[in-house]
Amino acid sequence: MRLQRLIQILFFAFFLALLLLSSYPVPEFLEPDALLRLDPLLSLGSMAAARALIPKAALAGLVLLAALFLGRIFCGYICPLGACIDFSDSILSKKRENSLEKTRALRHYKYLILAGLAGSAAFGISWIYFFSPLSLAVRFFSLVVHPVLLFLEGSVLEVLRPLFAAVGLDHIALAGVQAPRFNTNFFTASFFLAILALGLIAPRFWCKNLCPAGALIALFSLRPLFRRSVSDACTGCGRCVRNCPTGAISEDFRGVAHMECITCLKCEKICPEKAVSFRIRRGVRDRKAIDITRRKVIKAGAAGMATAAITLTGLKHIHGEEEPRPLKPSNLIRPPGALPETDFQARCVRCALCAKSCPTNTLQPLWFEAGISGLFSPAVLPRLGGCEQACNLCGRVCPTGAIRPLDLDEKLFAKIGTARIIKSRCIAWEQDKKCLICDEICPYNAISSRLLPDHPVTVPVIDEKRCNGCGYCENKCPVTGDAAIVVEGAGELRLSKGSYRKEAERLGLVFSAKAAAEDHAFEKPAGPPPGFER
Amino acid sequence: MGKKDMDRREFMVKSARCAALGACIGAIPVITGLTPPAASAPSAGEKVSDLVVARGNARNAVNAAVEALGGMSRFVKPGAKVVIKPNMSFANPPEWATTTHPDVVAEIAGLCLKAGAASVLVLDNPLRNIEMCLEKSGIKNACNAYEGAEAFGVKDKSAFKEVEIKGAKALTTTMIMRQVLEADLLIAAPVAKSHSATGVSLSMKGMMGLVYNRRTFHMDLDLDTAIVDLCTVLTPGLTIIDATRILSDGGPGGPGKVITMDRVIASPDFVAADAMAVEIGTWYGKRFKAAQVKHIRLAHERGLGNMDIASLKVKEVQG
Repeated sequence: MRLQRLIQILFFAFFLALLLLSSYPVPEFLEPDALLRLDPLLSLGSMAAARALIPKAALAGLVLLAALFLGRIFCGYICPLGACIDFSDSILSKKRENSLEKTRALRHYKYLILAGLAGSAAFGISWIYFFSPLSLAVRFFSLVVHPVLLFLEGSVLEVLRPLFAAVGLDHIALAGVQAPRFNTNFFTASFFLAILALGLIAPRFWCKNLCPAGALIALFSLRPLFRRSVSDACTGCGRCVRNCPTGAISEDFRGVAHMECITCLKCEKICPEKAVSFRIRRGVRDRKAIDITRRKVIKAGAAGMATAAITLTGLKHIHGEEEPRPLKPSNLIRPPGALPETDFQARCVRCALCAKSCPTNTLQPLWFEAGISGLFSPAVLPRLGGCEQACNLCGRVCPTGAIRPLDLDEKLFAKIGTARIIKSRCIAWEQDKKCLICDEICPYNAISSRLLPDHPVTVPVIDEKRCNGCGYCENKCPVTGDAAIVVEGAGELRLSKGSYRKEAERLGLVFSAKAAAEDHAFEKPAGPPPGFER
Repeated sequence: MGKKDMDRREFMVKSARCAALGACIGAIPVITGLTPPAASAPSAGEKVSDLVVARGNARNAVNAAVEALGGMSRFVKPGAKVVIKPNMSFANPPEWATTTHPDVVAEIAGLCLKAGAASVLVLDNPLRNIEMCLEKSGIKNACNAYEGAEAFGVKDKSAFKEVEIKGAKALTTTMIMRQVLEADLLIAAPVAKSHSATGVSLSMKGMMGLVYNRRTFHMDLDLDTAIVDLCTVLTPGLTIIDATRILSDGGPGGPGKVITMDRVIASPDFVAADAMAVEIGTWYGKRFKAAQVKHIRLAHERGLGNMDIASLKVKEVQG
């Protein structure tokens, strides 16, 4: 096996391991988003769109630094999308011929896409999640592969459970396999598979023609130190040219476009004369490295700006705090610690790692509820699950700080919304049925059961100052269909900096669980307390 | 382990002082369907307590209470499969009193294993995320100290089995955890806590944690009647109520007022145990009679057990 393949497989295994470990509880030392931040497009792109320096995303600088000396090794060795593409290419190779002419003409598109992304970022709109290889890969494995595998595991277990119980293997018989469910998963799968299917046209089609992350690294790979070298033993058989997955080798078999070469070492391995080697060499840079005109770049940048401008003038685009209230969906609940909406959308790379990590599956990628620019951005879906107060994973795994990393104490005060009772749907309010599940489940004592005149059973009442917006009430409401108690975005705290605790205290919010019992805001009802009879 | 042995020795010394202990063994008829016949034959004329209230820290009190009922071997036969049903539905620490104290659960598990149980499963269908509940409640870790005992949160439908309830007044059918149905002994080990819909949540209300669909209890049926229906098929052979501290209000999820009681209540009669827990506790700042809790009253009326504390032989011991 080639050294490159070995390292690539190891990195891919590392990628999968990080993803798998990115679920509650994540070990203290682990940084599940580390690989994401290595993607220079993801890191620099979010910084550009958000106009912010994101210190931890500076990790991508390593990749660019490495490119100066080693070329596009990120693409050949580290990128998990590249690994997936290599794998699918090996399957698809039988169905295509590697035709150089067909694809060399398209090479410069990746630079144009990069220019377009820069153009849209100038207006603060980020489309990088359509192109960032790490975002694509993490999203696909998180929203599609992981749930599907769990589903299959659960299906097998469902059949075999009684068998395991019968032979006393309680561990397996009682194992809970809950496959998470995700919005947009079908699209995510289709988009990813479409990228892989490009391998029908040529190997590494995406990487050499379209990937703007590759383009960005290529710009730093004009003259790498470690490069291909051809000795005089070369007979000009052309085997290397035909087999080069990125079409980087020139027609004279000797020259190589460093900006395209991913140092996969394939030419070295297949050369029948052993004329090819990779070594440290100094030399002039590839003159005609980028086959592109300035005009094209400007056009692409302008097109990118145009897409951003159209997005910004869309009806549903959320412009910020001053948003006309009727147009912002009341049920748009962002994860705790999410930056103010515009910043949040600019920084969020839609990798879905937060959704993958969320222990209650409540974080879901959106379609267009938050405007076109909010596509795939995560929102809390309380009907599916509550935001667990003992968990702060979404902020911890976010590679760009779109969701701020908060310690548990601070996260407690990051109010994400406020619950509202829809009395006409509530069986206690409307049908006089004894049901106080929302009161029961509320971790913050924000809901109290009160005996009111004209109501034979106690009815739930919300104290909004205690409501954290966690959504457990909506989640557990036993009413069929839409819940009788719903969380709305009203009252959410979105701070780009500073302490949530201080802000919450300034607003008189009380999320301290301990104090709740002692100084409950409501007066004691007349008659016996809830559940007791006279 | 060394510490645990010490506790037991201590207990043995103390219990030796208790003159009536020997008289308490046996003599109770098999009250519930799941209870195996008493291991030691009752000697004629001896008075046996129906219910024990033990004081002390969690482990000592559990030990003393079980011993005063005749020892765990009265309930657990060698090779028996035991299921313990604690409260571990919430991802809260033990201090909140929304979940059974891990020491109580672990001590019960340990006693079962010592009595020869083949396996001890600690089971609940948690309201919140399983992992978090097992971890935060401390129950998983506490059980891990015992080989043969383990705690599981169970939510998957395929782990439950449909059961018909004959003579039901509301709940005619429900799905119950398979392991519970196949167990030789079910031990209810609830924490004593208030409950906004049923007044208190004790062993009877706790049985709802062993079914798949709780929703229908609240939505379609009279909650208290349905609980009693359920208890006709899910009848613990032994009930040990953790009243080391009680959640006096704000239950069942808390947070609420926690009152330290340093007591454990044990009885083969779960209605009696629940009734005692109601009456020794302070709820919402007041005291109540067991009959004021509807599901306890209904269970008494339907003959599932005896809530009339005054008519019971109650024993108080120090653990």
